Amino acid sequence: MIEYILMIVTILGAILALMQRDLLKAAILTGVPGAAIAFLYQYLLAPDVALTQAIVGSAIIPVFFALAVYKTRRVEE
Amino acid sequence: MNFLIALMVIVPILCALFLNLLHKKDRTIKVVTVLLALTLPALPLLANYGLHYFGGYVPLVENPTLANNLPPLITDTALNTFHPAITYSFQSAQQLFVFIFGLVALLAIFVSVFETRRPSGVYAYMMFMGVAAVTAVILTDDIFNLYVFFEIAALATVGIVLVSNVKGNYETALKYMIIGSIVAPLLLLGIALLLGVTGNVNITDIIYSIKNGLVDPQNPVILMACALIVFGWLYGSGLPPFHTIKSAIYSKALPSGAALMQAFSVFIFVAMGIIILRIFSYLPFSQWVILGVSLMAMILGITMAILQTDLKRMIGFLAVGELGYIGIGLGLSTAYGITAGLFQAVNEAMITAILFLGFGVVLYQTGISDTRKLGGMMVKTPLVAFLVLLGGFAMAGVPLLNAFQSKLMLIQGSIKAGLPELGVIMILLSIVTFMTFMKAFHAVYLRPMPDELVIKHEKIPKATIIAMLVLLGVCLIFGLFPQVATSYLQPLATSLAGGIL
Amino acid sequence: MIIDVQLASLFTAVALVVIGIFAAVFLDNLIKKVIGLAFIGDGVNLFLISMGYKAGGIVYIQLPGMAADWFAQNSAYPLPFALVLTSIVIGASTMAVMLGIIIVLYKKRGSISASKILGE
Repeated sequence: MIEYILMIVTILGAILALMQRDLLKAAILTGVPGAAIAFLYQYLLAPDVALTQAIVGSAIIPVFFALAVYKTRRVEE
Repeated sequence: MNFLIALMVIVPILCALFLNLLHKKDRTIKVVTVLLALTLPALPLLANYGLHYFGGYVPLVENPTLANNLPPLITDTALNTFHPAITYSFQSAQQLFVFIFGLVALLAIFVSVFETRRPSGVYAYMMFMGVAAVTAVILTDDIFNLYVFFEIAALATVGIVLVSNVKGNYETALKYMIIGSIVAPLLLLGIALLLGVTGNVNITDIIYSIKNGLVDPQNPVILMACALIVFGWLYGSGLPPFHTIKSAIYSKALPSGAALMQAFSVFIFVAMGIIILRIFSYLPFSQWVILGVSLMAMILGITMAILQTDLKRMIGFLAVGELGYIGIGLGLSTAYGITAGLFQAVNEAMITAILFLGFGVVLYQTGISDTRKLGGMMVKTPLVAFLVLLGGFAMAGVPLLNAFQSKLMLIQGSIKAGLPELGVIMILLSIVTFMTFMKAFHAVYLRPMPDELVIKHEKIPKATIIAMLVLLGVCLIFGLFPQVATSYLQPLATSLAGGIL
Repeated sequence: MIIDVQLASLFTAVALVVIGIFAAVFLDNLIKKVIGLAFIGDGVNLFLISMGYKAGGIVYIQLPGMAADWFAQNSAYPLPFALVLTSIVIGASTMAVMLGIIIVLYKKRGSISASKILGE
């Protein structure tokens, strides 16, 4: 059951991240699908990939985006 | 000496990492860079033909001691013959490709070291990294490894563009990367589908599975995979619809970088084209797809080249157009046609490099690449003008030079394959190519020099002239003795056309 | 009724790819374009992982005491998982380079709108 919830969270998170007008919120929300996918990998029998994805997808990539937003502008024009 | 096969990829990567460490010492860095680059064409000459297994072991059928205690589930099935490693295959055709690619890379690096005032470690790093990636793409027999090095080659291309200080390079690089980040995952999706159907990423094993009925060859998923991989192929080599961005990328790089990047495109085109032919040639329309795409590339590339006023942009479009000839050769799917196409690829990589380097001298001297503002350079640099003219002759297919031989073979091949129309189109487009080249040549060298044109550097770096002379020499050898090159390409072409392997 | 996990996750992967392509093509803001590109990569990785999944299977680690035959028939297929590890890293590095270029372009042009920067 939890797999289906994770899938729905992934898709909703992706759509929500793209709908934000505040880019910092969008950047942080990209971590939601990233983390959900990491959990999903665990349920799809890939624990080592899940570890990598948990670090890269839910921490590194959102931080990259947040840094980029911090160095440019926060609100979409 | 089979380990040399692996070194062909590892050495450029090591060179790149090492050069990145050297920073300030200008003179030593120049010498070290050139010395390291000398290994690029030398390695393929020394290596023996064969397969190299990265991080794995040979197929069980070749190593009975390993298969001793395994259950019949493995030893009695096709698993026995599969390659459980990243396999690199080095045969005569690959030898010629890697040698010519290494030669172009060596000369491009040689020129870059002497033309840029500060031989920046980053530029050399990017060039070596790209060389390693494309060499791996040529050698690899593993479709996922192909994807990895495809991505690295794209990143190296972007790096080469970013290092040049041409106006607008960041915008073009970003555009190229955004398109690339859409296409490359789709290529991976195609590979994933192929993996899903056959359970394998080794190309030889995929073909084995398809040929021996382990999977259904008419499975629609394979069709989808074919479409996605062809899409990635178009992006990697800059065929339509990506010809505009590819030629923009060439025009935003330094001439030496552009000369190297067109070699990237040519060899990625050839390597992936061979893979597509090997896996999907049994699909009835694959031949027509390749022919159609190549025709579009030829026509769009060459006609758009006429309209350009920017020198580098123009050669970029011509380079895309010339890729079409290679594609026609591959699409004919006869042994003769494929040999001609592969031969054309080898020639094309050298000739376009000559043109980029030659017109690069003009850029170096004046800092202008707009043909409307140039003129009268013949008086300043008669030798370079002559060499560029020879390069243009070679591209158009004037006898005694190499492209004449390959284009003649292509036209003969198209007639033999029952498609004489293609031969007519190729001859017509050759004439248009020559016209475009002469238009640029006239604008840059022959017409009187405009008053406002200022020469910034009087002295031409000798390295550029040496590089052009070496490339022209090889062109002349291949033009006079085409069998030197074709004998290397024949075995691969025969196996591709026969549907073996 | 409930569709099985593998099929559902394949659909999720395709949905992510479609969302990503939509964002990369139609959204104007460069950062959002790059977010979309990250989703495409995630989608393709998820696709690969779900292909290796085996319903009711076990993780592909052979613990002591497992018979080789039984393990071979019940474990998930590990090859796609090995590929995804590489693919995740490549995707992340590509993202980093793109964001770096965007920052430089913002300093030069003062905008992160694709139509202003990329449209000539």
